[in-house]
Formats: sequence, structure tokens, C-alpha cells
Amino acid sequence: MSGTAAVSLAPAAYAPPAGLAAVRRGAFAVGAVAAALSLLGAWMDRGQFFRSYLVAFLYWLSIALGCSAIAMLHHLTRGGWGLMIRRVLEAASGTLPLVALFFVPLLFGLPELYRWARPDEVQADALLRHQAVYLNAPFFISRAALYFAIWCGFAWVLQRLSARQDATGDPALPRRMQMIAAPGLVLYCLTATFASIDWLMSLDSRWYSTIYGVYFVGGHAIAGLSFAVLVALYLSSRGPMSAAFRPIHFHDYGKLLLTFVVLWAYFAVSQLIIIWSGNLAEEITWYRGRLLGGWSGVSLALVTLHFALPFLLLLSREGKRNAGRLSVVAILLLVMRWVDLHWLALPALSPEGPAFHWLDAATAIALGGLWLSAFAGRLARRPLLPIRDPFLPEALAHD
Amino acid sequence: MTRPRTVRLYGQMAEFASPHDLLAAAGAARSAGYRRLDAFTPFPIERLSETLGHRPSRVPMLVLIGGIIGALAGYGLQYWVSAVAYPLNIGGRPYNSWPAFIPITFELTILIAGIFTVFGMLVLNGLPTPYHPVFNVPHFALASRDRYFLCIESKDPKFDPASTRVFLEGLSPSGVFDVEY
Amino acid sequence: MEQTPGTGGPRAADPGRPPLIAPGYTSATVTDKISAVVLRGTPRWWFAAFGAAFLLVMLLLGTLGHLFLKGVGIYGVNIPVGWGWDITNFVWWIGIGHAGTLISAILLLLRQEWRNSINRFAEAMTLFAVACASLYPVVHLGRPWVLYWLFPYPSTMGVWPQFRSPLVWDVFAVSTYATISLLFWFIGLIPDLATLRDRAKSRFAQIVYGMLAMGWRGSARHWHNYESAYLMLAGLATPLVVSVHSVVSFDFAVGIIPGWHSTIFPPYFVAGAIYSGFAMVLTLAIPLRAIFGLKDFITDRHLQNMAKVMLATGLIVAYGYLIEIFMAWYGDNRFDVYMSLNRMFGPYAFQFWSLIACNVVAPQALWIKRLRRSPVFLFVIAIIVNVGMWLERYVIIVTSLHRDFLPSSWGMYSGTVWDYSTFVGSIGLFLALMFLFIRFLPMISIFEMRTILPEARVEEARK
Repeated sequence: MSGTAAVSLAPAAYAPPAGLAAVRRGAFAVGAVAAALSLLGAWMDRGQFFRSYLVAFLYWLSIALGCSAIAMLHHLTRGGWGLMIRRVLEAASGTLPLVALFFVPLLFGLPELYRWARPDEVQADALLRHQAVYLNAPFFISRAALYFAIWCGFAWVLQRLSARQDATGDPALPRRMQMIAAPGLVLYCLTATFASIDWLMSLDSRWYSTIYGVYFVGGHAIAGLSFAVLVALYLSSRGPMSAAFRPIHFHDYGKLLLTFVVLWAYFAVSQLIIIWSGNLAEEITWYRGRLLGGWSGVSLALVTLHFALPFLLLLSREGKRNAGRLSVVAILLLVMRWVDLHWLALPALSPEGPAFHWLDAATAIALGGLWLSAFAGRLARRPLLPIRDPFLPEALAHD
Repeated sequence: MTRPRTVRLYGQMAEFASPHDLLAAAGAARSAGYRRLDAFTPFPIERLSETLGHRPSRVPMLVLIGGIIGALAGYGLQYWVSAVAYPLNIGGRPYNSWPAFIPITFELTILIAGIFTVFGMLVLNGLPTPYHPVFNVPHFALASRDRYFLCIESKDPKFDPASTRVFLEGLSPSGVFDVEY
Repeated sequence: MEQTPGTGGPRAADPGRPPLIAPGYTSATVTDKISAVVLRGTPRWWFAAFGAAFLLVMLLLGTLGHLFLKGVGIYGVNIPVGWGWDITNFVWWIGIGHAGTLISAILLLLRQEWRNSINRFAEAMTLFAVACASLYPVVHLGRPWVLYWLFPYPSTMGVWPQFRSPLVWDVFAVSTYATISLLFWFIGLIPDLATLRDRAKSRFAQIVYGMLAMGWRGSARHWHNYESAYLMLAGLATPLVVSVHSVVSFDFAVGIIPGWHSTIFPPYFVAGAIYSGFAMVLTLAIPLRAIFGLKDFITDRHLQNMAKVMLATGLIVAYGYLIEIFMAWYGDNRFDVYMSLNRMFGPYAFQFWSLIACNVVAPQALWIKRLRRSPVFLFVIAIIVNVGMWLERYVIIVTSLHRDFLPSSWGMYSGTVWDYSTFVGSIGLFLALMFLFIRFLPMISIFEMRTILPEARVEEARK
């Protein structure tokens, strides 16, 4: 292979950097402190705790799930493009069981969050009575269990095959991973759609939009890829991976990120144009609060900082290749993902305007710390590149 | 060469059988100090233009300019028509209905940027060019099939019919030709 | 031209990836083989095929003549179903065009080299499909001779287009799409026109191809600007193609008709467009490569890749159907619920279930690798999907309109013989243009085929 001369393919050459252990411990400590604070907050203001917790949960879910979906897309297309970040994606999707655990506390706050979980309101509302076949606590919980079972199941199987590839280098494995990734992606899109309806859209059960699930999935893609790019930039700045990563790899990720950002904006603007033009009372209310009310500032921030600025930065060649500029974009997008979820969820619960509460930060940091610690632990377990993948020399020599 | 040497030369051209030889020759000509160089190939070859010392393409800048013009013109047209020239109340929507103006703004951005791209490329390449001296070389028809040509123009300060020919012949081409006007 | 060991590069060693071009070809033989199709003279069957298509064009012109004399009353449209076959056909044709842009632009940006042998005729297909599509909204205008009123110009009447209307967005989207597709196709052709100029034997062909090639010399400077422009245009065409079918979907979705007013429409229409477009590429490519002996260039791998794209986009379309029905139930809007039930069990139930069978059920066979490998089977599936996507637009348009809010204004719709003859005639127009194209222009991009030959792997050879 022509790539072997330039870059080594020995497993030892891609040992994870020692810094990961410190990240793992540090993140855990921060997460534990924030978790303790959050529990204190839950005791002080139960309703606020669940609101903040819902957004924090959805946020870290979107990163883990986005990574898992991108990993499946990579297996499906069998392109070299995903190989350089495959271990990052795998480590993130491996944390899905932990994210499932993060979901459990929400079960204690259903009545605080959802109108359909308050029996007296359901009795008084014909629409809620109609929806009760679908929106009721037992079915809600079993659906969530099914979603997580599917997500964790596919992530686990692909992870195992990838580990086997490291051990044996069996040339049949890419094909097997491809065959699993195809139904995996189909099921992911379906389950993520219904999860978005269950967890977010039903906060305001009067309003519905058929593009909602697609918008949610688009957000996952941005969150997952931004996170993976950020980790890749961190890895490329030190140790063995600094020789393996080239500007062209980041150029490719930058292009992919640009595509995802544009798609996200496209979904958002499609929904806006259709609902704004239709101007039906039951639909336009969703935008009234967000565009005209106290939330309009947040909407403007989404347009400029979630779309316009990343778009302009990623348009230029330097924006994709320069590590500093790309990391600025990735961090900005990760922050704006949180803002977007906040914007999706909370106008239903505080219509008059955004009311930032310290618990929003505390819960996000708590879950984030614990999650990052698990992620760093998983990333440190295996070589940073899938060394026996038949396409790796191509990916490394890519120019 | 039956005609006397007084015929003005556009340059001299060497023919190669493979893109590898051409790239090597282009590099050699550049390091030998030749600056007015061009190569002719049946398909685009990465880095050839760099090797010959050509400047980066200015097409992307034209695309950006076209896109900005298109976006401003697109929104401006709709705003001016709907809010200034012919304001109509359509279902109570504001005169400046920005959500409804997004599609056409977008389309015109793409349209003008695309037109700038194509015509900009043609202008930068000097096309259409009805006449060009390189076509006077009979073998040149193969440049659009499977042969690779390197041309050193007579405008090059280092160009000299005799020594340049010797230089080109030293690059092991399958032929060296004078390119006459 | 000998290859030093290892210069095939990593791609040649890829396990499980069949080649994109049969082994043994060189730049010279690729050039000769593809240009020979154009320069060799006209095969006898071509006259028969073109003649048949031309008769259908005459049918189209006759129908349009009758339409202009009598008015749109000759079509089956009336109140409440004001859009029928015409708009169904418009959306169907526009959708078919999308695969061409997708293949030439998006796959170029994704560096999918397998596109190089199919992009040229896919682009031609786009152009001709857009030509057929734009016919429909124009001829059903009622007064097609005042078509120019659609464009913003300072008229003596002092009126301007109403920019909040998706029908005006459509004018801009479709005309931009036609312009950009034409430019993209034409600049893709320039180097090949130069090849034809240099290879043509007759003086007339040399002059015509020479003028069209505009003096292209294949110089490094040319290629440098050319490649940059080609990539930029691909980058512009990609969002454009998405926007065009989104705008087409806005024609329906921004209204408040149940069955039309749905936010999923833009992405779901785009996926449907790509789906039907790839079906049409397969429908054309499978017979063409057999007739012209081009199986070495359009290999089974190409067909399999297109089959996979069809499967993926077909699943997105199925997702659209599912989510629409679920949301109709979830939102408990009585009109939406009735519309969904009426689609499934009303007077147009047969069309609805046929579309489900064609678009959702039949393509699931593409999961099976053995079937993806059979060109005959793919051809059959492609035809089924073409039919299914036509039915989908018909069902969306007709079932949403024929029973809207007031039962007193319900009605039934069916096309008339003039609808059929316009449709068949537009297929004839498409085929006639296609036959002219394959006769006079290289249907496979010669210069892009050269770049995927082993001898073109310059970079790897240098290492």
C-alpha cells in the first residue's frame, strides 16, 4: 500500500493520549458537584428542575445519538471519510446506555412537564382525551424503553464488530457492518422522530408539525459531528494522531458540517414558510410566542449564530482547514444546539419569554460532566484508529 | 522547416505520451528558469497549474460577487415591488413579508452566481477564441485524445529557438514542434 | 504508459469494490469508443426510433393547437378539482429532472467517481425533463400568450407580480433551474466538443463542433479555471435542486387544503423527486448501455449504486406517508382525518393503494443483493417506481381537492383524452430530444472517463 511508507499502521502508534485519564477524572468531579447542586435545586424548585433537566437530557442525548447515526452513515457508505473519527463516534455511541439512565429521573416529573400526564386536565380537554391512547405514562415509558433498546442495540453490535475487526482484520466485516447500519439508520430515523414527538412536541399537545422529527434528527447530526470534530481537533493537536490528521480531513468534516447546518436551516425555514403562509390559528401560535414575544431575541440568535455565522465561516477554505477557526465553529454550534433545544422545549412552559435559571446550567453541566467522563473512558480503551480496516490506508493517504 | 526562420514563432511545443512525463517536464522547465509556460492535456491534471507557476483561479471570487449581487437584487426587487411600487394587502400580511421573500431571494442568488461562474470562467479563459497558434501544430489534435503537450512561449525572456529546442528535446518527448503564428 | 507497481493506488486494492470501468482501456480507446457513437454515422434503427418519437411530438403539437383554440376546458379540470393531470405531469417531470443534477453535482462534490460515466446523459435528461415540465404550467394558464405577465417588469398597466404567492416563486425556481442546468450541461460538454472537433472527419462537423467548443485547447490555465468553475457550479446546483422541488411543494403546502398543508412536504418532495429521477435514469441507462455496447463504462456497479439510492429515497418517501397519517390522527383535525381516510378508502382508494404498492412495497425487494444485481429486475422496478411516483402526485392533487371543507362542493375528477395525449406527447418530446442528444453529442463524458483510468493516477505515481 502506498500509504504505509508515510504513516505507520501499528496499533501501538495510535495509543490514546494520557491526557484522557485526566479528562475522565476531571469531568467526573465537575459533573458530580453539579449533580449535587442540581439535586439541591430539585428540592428547592421541583418544576424548574424538570424543565432544565429535560433540555439537558435532550442535549447530551443529541450528541451521543448524533455520533451513533454518523457512525452508521459511515458504515453504510463505506467511505474513507469517517475512518479518522470512527473511534470518537464509537466511544460516543457507546455511552448510550448511560444516556438511557439519564432518562430515568424524567419519569418522576411527567406531570410537571406534560399536560397529558395530569389526569384532571386530560378529563377537561377533548383533544387530550383523544391523544390519551398514545400519550399515556405506561405507553410513553415503554416506547422510551424501545427507543433506547434499539439505539443501544445497534451501537453495541457495531461496536463489537469493530472490535473484532481490530483483532482479526476479517475482510468480510465492513460488509457486515454495512448490512447492520442500513436497517439501523432506518430505525434510528423512525425512533428519533417518535421520540421527538413524545419528549418535545407533546409539551404543547395542541400543536403539531410533520417536519418536526426531521428537524430533530438534523439537530442530532450537527451536535454529533461538531462534538466529533472538536475531539478530533483535540487529538490532532497532540501525540500520535497529529501525524495522521491532515488539513484535508478537516476540510471534509467542515464540508459535512456545512451541509448539516444548511440542511438544518432548510428544515427550519420550510416549516416557517408553510406555517407562516397558512396562518392557521392552531399552528401559528407556536411561532407567535417565538417570533413576536419575549423569545424573539432567541430566535434571532438562532438565525445568526446557528446558521449565518457558521455558514459564512465554513464557506471559506480556511474556515474548514484552519484548526482554530474550525474549533470556533464547532464550539459555537454546540452552544447553539443547547439554545435550539431550549427554544424548542421551553416556550410551551414559559410562554412570556426566556427565563434563564441557574438550574439550566447546573443540570447541563452535571449530565455533561458524567457523560464526558464516560466518553473519555471509552475513548481511552482502544487504539485511536481502526488499524485493520481495509480502507484506512486510503483514508490516511487522502490528499 | 522549409520556410525561412523569419516566421514569427508563438513558441515551441514538446509532446509527451503520459501525464507523468508531462508533469516531470513541466517541473524541469520551471526550474530551468522558464516562466511563460503552458501545458495541454486531455483531462485536468491536479497540481499541473501549480507546477507551471500559474496563479490561483479567480473564479471563486466572481461566484461570491455574483451571489451577493443576486441576493441583494432578489430581496430588493421583492421589497421594492411589494412595499413601495405596488403595495397590496394580501390576507393581512405585512408589505415586507420576509418569510415569503426567502425563496426568490435564494433563487436569484443562485442564478446570478451561476451566470457569473460560467461566463467568468469563459472570460478568464479567453473563450471563445476562434484562432489560436497552437492549432497550427498538426499533432495538436491529439491533445484532446491521449497526448500531453508542454509549450514554452516565445514571450518568455529565456526563450531562444535553438537552445529551447535543445532543452525540450532533453526532456525525452515523443516530438518537438515549432508553433507558428 | 507502463504502470509502475503500486501506482494503481489504494483504490485499485479496495476489497469488494468492482471496477468502474472494465480493465484494459486507455485514454485513446475510451476517446475513440465514445466519440465513435457520435461520429460513426446514423444507425438505421435510430431513424425508426426518432421517427416514432417525432410522431408523438406531432401529437403534442396537435393537442396544444386544439388547446389554444378551445381553451383549458378540453382538460378534465373544473371546480373543485382545478389541478389534474397537467400539474401531476409538471411535478412528475420536474422530479425526474432532479436525479440528473444530483448525479452531476452532489456526487461530484462527494467525489463519487462512479458518476463520471452517467452524469452526461443524466444532465441531458434533466434538461429535457425540465423542458417537458415547464410546458404544463404554461399551457394550462388559460391565456398562455400572456405568459410574460408572470415576470416582474415595469408594465404599462402598472401592476407587479404578487411575491407572497408560491406560484410566482415557482416561476423563479423553474427558470433558474432550467438556466443553471443548461449552463452546467454545456460547460461539461466543452472539452468533449473539442475532442469531437479534433476527431471529426467531415468539414461540416468540424466547423459545428469547433464553434461549439469555442476554441477550447485543454491548456493548464483552461483546466484550472474550468475545474474551479465546475465545482462552484456543482456547489450552487446542489442547494438549487433541493430548493426547486421545495418550491414545487410550497405550491401545495402553503395553502390550507387538508392533504397539502403539511410541513414535511419540502424534504419529502425532494426525496420523491430523486427517487423518481433515479428510476428514470435506470429506465434509460439499462437499454442504452445494451444497445450501444457500453457495459464496460456503465457497469453493474453503477446500476447497483443507483438501486441503493432508490431504496434510500423510497424509504424517505414512505416516512412522509407514515408521518402524515400519524399527525392527522394525533392532531385530531377532522378535515385532516377525513382526508386521510378518504385517500385510503374513498373513491380514489385504488390509486392510493397502487401508489403504496409501487412506491413502498415493490422497492423493498432492493434490499436483496441478488436482485440488485439483475439489470432486468432493476428495469422492472424502475418502471414500477416511475408509475408509482406519477400516481403519488395524482393522489396528492386530486384526493385533496375533490372533497374539501364543504360537502356541497365535492366532486369527482378524471382526465380526458386530451390529458392523455398531452402526457404521451410530452413523453415523445422527451424521447425525441434524447435521441437527438445521443446521436449528436457524446452521451458519456469523455474527459471525465479519462480521469478515472489508471494512467491518470498521476499523484500516486509520483510518490
